[in-house]
Amino acid sequence: MSEPTSADTRRLAEEARNRVRFEEEALDLSDQVYRVARHLANSREDADELMQETYVRAFRSWQQYTPGTNLRAWLLRILTNLNIDRGRRQQRSPQTTSLDEKSDYYLYDKLEEQEGRPMDEERVIERLSQDSVVDALAHVPHDFRDVLVLVDIGDFSYADTAQILDIPVGTVMSRLHRARRILKGELAEEVAK
Amino acid sequence: MSGYGVDPCVKCEEMMQPFLDRELTMGEMQEAEAHLDTCSHCRRRYRFEVSLRRYIRTATTEQMPLELKQKLAALRIELH
Repeated sequence: MSEPTSADTRRLAEEARNRVRFEEEALDLSDQVYRVARHLANSREDADELMQETYVRAFRSWQQYTPGTNLRAWLLRILTNLNIDRGRRQQRSPQTTSLDEKSDYYLYDKLEEQEGRPMDEERVIERLSQDSVVDALAHVPHDFRDVLVLVDIGDFSYADTAQILDIPVGTVMSRLHRARRILKGELAEEVAK
Repeated sequence: MSGYGVDPCVKCEEMMQPFLDRELTMGEMQEAEAHLDTCSHCRRRYRFEVSLRRYIRTATTEQMPLELKQKLAALRIELH
C-alpha cells in the first residue's frame, strides 16, 4: 500500500476542518431549529426525536450542504421531510372547513363583539393564555400548520418556506391564509368558553 | 389597477397578511399604508393583527431542553 502523499494529507485536514465548522454551525442553530420543530411535531417527545434524527442525517450528509447558503433552511428541510416520512401527518389532505367563509378579522370581530365597543388591540394579550395559543396551533391540520410555523415562528420568507416544503410559493400563500384563519377560529372558540 | 377604489377596506383586508409578512411590492405597500393612514376601522384591525402575531410568537417560544442539546452534541462525536 502506498503512503499518503502530502497532498492527500492536506486534503483530509481541510475536509476535517470543514466538517467541524459545519457541525459547529449546525449546533449553534439548534435552538432556532427547535423553536420551529417543537410546533411542527405533535409533542415534545416527537420534537425531541425529530431533532436527533435530523442532526444524525445532517452530520452524515454534511457534504451535500453548500457553504454560504441558508443552513437553518437546509436543516429544516431535512426535518420536515423526516416528519412526513415518520407518518406524523394524520391529515394528509387539507380539509375544507366552514372557516373559509369567515373573514380574516374573525377573531378581532369576535373579541370586539364580546367587548361591546371598539377594542384596544393590546387587550388580546389579556384574553388569550399562552396555553390556549399552543393548543390552538396544535389543532391546525399539518399541511397548514407547517407553513404557519415556518413563516410566523421560524420567520422564513414565502420563497424559503416553498423551498423547505418543496411546494410552489402560491401554495405557501394559500395555505398560510387558511392556516391563520383556522388558528384564529380556534382562538375565538377558546375566548368564547 | 390598485383595487382600493371600489371597496378600499375589502382590498385592505386582502392585502393585510402579505403586508404584515413584508411580501408586498413597494407600490402595494404604499397603497396599503395610505389607506391605513386614513381609515381607523382598518387601522384598529391592523394593530390587532400586529399584536396577535407578536403574542403568538412569544407564546410558542419554548426553550430547547438542555438534555437534548447535549444529545445533539454527542451525535457529532459518535459519528466520527
